[in-house]
Amino acid sequence: MAQLTSQQVNELANYFLAMAQAIGDYRVKNFDALSKEENQKTEELFDSILKYADDLFTLSAILVMDDVQTSLSSIGDITNKMKSAFKTLQDIQKVINIAASVVILGESIMKKNPQAIADAIGGLAGTLKA
Amino acid sequence: MTKLYLKISLSIFFLTVVLSSCVNLKHVNDFSTSSLKSVKNFEAIDYSFKQNCLDKCQDQNIKKLVLIPQECNCEADEKADSITFLIYNAVRGYLDGLTNLSNNNLTTYKMDPLTKALTKSDLAAIKVEKAQVEAYSNISNVLLNAFANKYRKHKIKEYVKAANEPFQVLIRFLDFNLSSNLADKLNVQKLRIREDYLKLIKDSTLSSLEKRKTIEEYYHRLDLIEAKQQTLNTYSKALKKTAGGHQNLADNIDKLNIYEIKEQLTQDASDIQDMISEFNKIPKQ
Repeated sequence: MAQLTSQQVNELANYFLAMAQAIGDYRVKNFDALSKEENQKTEELFDSILKYADDLFTLSAILVMDDVQTSLSSIGDITNKMKSAFKTLQDIQKVINIAASVVILGESIMKKNPQAIADAIGGLAGTLKA
Repeated sequence: MTKLYLKISLSIFFLTVVLSSCVNLKHVNDFSTSSLKSVKNFEAIDYSFKQNCLDKCQDQNIKKLVLIPQECNCEADEKADSITFLIYNAVRGYLDGLTNLSNNNLTTYKMDPLTKALTKSDLAAIKVEKAQVEAYSNISNVLLNAFANKYRKHKIKEYVKAANEPFQVLIRFLDFNLSSNLADKLNVQKLRIREDYLKLIKDSTLSSLEKRKTIEEYYHRLDLIEAKQQTLNTYSKALKKTAGGHQNLADNIDKLNIYEIKEQLTQDASDIQDMISEFNKIPKQ
């Protein structure tokens, strides 16, 4: 048997809601005219139909998963590719900064200045971590 | 003669590279930034399938005069929430990526650190004149930014086209779950409380004053439910605008230099911004 789609279940839920609305309206207009037994019967009927409507709206929301599975996967792939392109473009600035730090380190080594070497290593490490 | 020819060729080459990468992605960025902000209002809705279920259980406990709350089974509603959240997350993730990638600051590279390091350096191996370093640096900067922008533009075109169909589906179903299923559950709640209050006002043991209070309480609760529905409807309008804007973007992604297309994207961003303002104006409970 073919399974119902989320939209079909939502339509069904709306039919149940409309039925409950009709019974509810009838009870509001005729509450005093109904016998105790009629009152109880229509109330039970109203409660059951309303519960079906409520449960069907939740079911429709769950069935949405069947409709979006492929789209979720496609957009997930594209988002990952975007992140990767973004990272590539960000890395270009990182490479420029690393090159600058390497030049400073090279100069410090040539000057044989221990403090400058330590500072330059610290600077390079910071750039690499960034 | 050969030198002059070489100079002219090089100039033409640079000009072509720079001009071909000059497409400003500002309009794409404006649209995606507004859309992202608008879609993120999901987090401000402050209502869910599970909350609706908990409200129902509380109503039933009050109706039955149960002081100690009984167990409330909201498993199905939790599942509905997690699916809705999953769709929201995917839409937000995509718009976040598009906003980051279309940001013009991303490819505005700063050569200053390297220029400074080279001009200050007196290493024998790389002894270069300051003016020379700056000149090379400026050319590299222009070319690097030009190539990076071209790459960015190419990637954005590719992603927007590929993403449009799944994006439309996801927006449609996110909207469906919120403005149809969840808002309809609020209609169920409206009918349920009307029935409860009907019985109270028909109760002959209550005084007229108590009945008046009961009706007052009923109207107050009705207002609260309708405010939630208004929030969902406003969010729905914003989602529809976002979907329409993305469709325009995908349809015209190859013509981003045309004035009318830029105008359209600006209009879409502005419409979405209006929706954000409308959403923020709704009084929060």
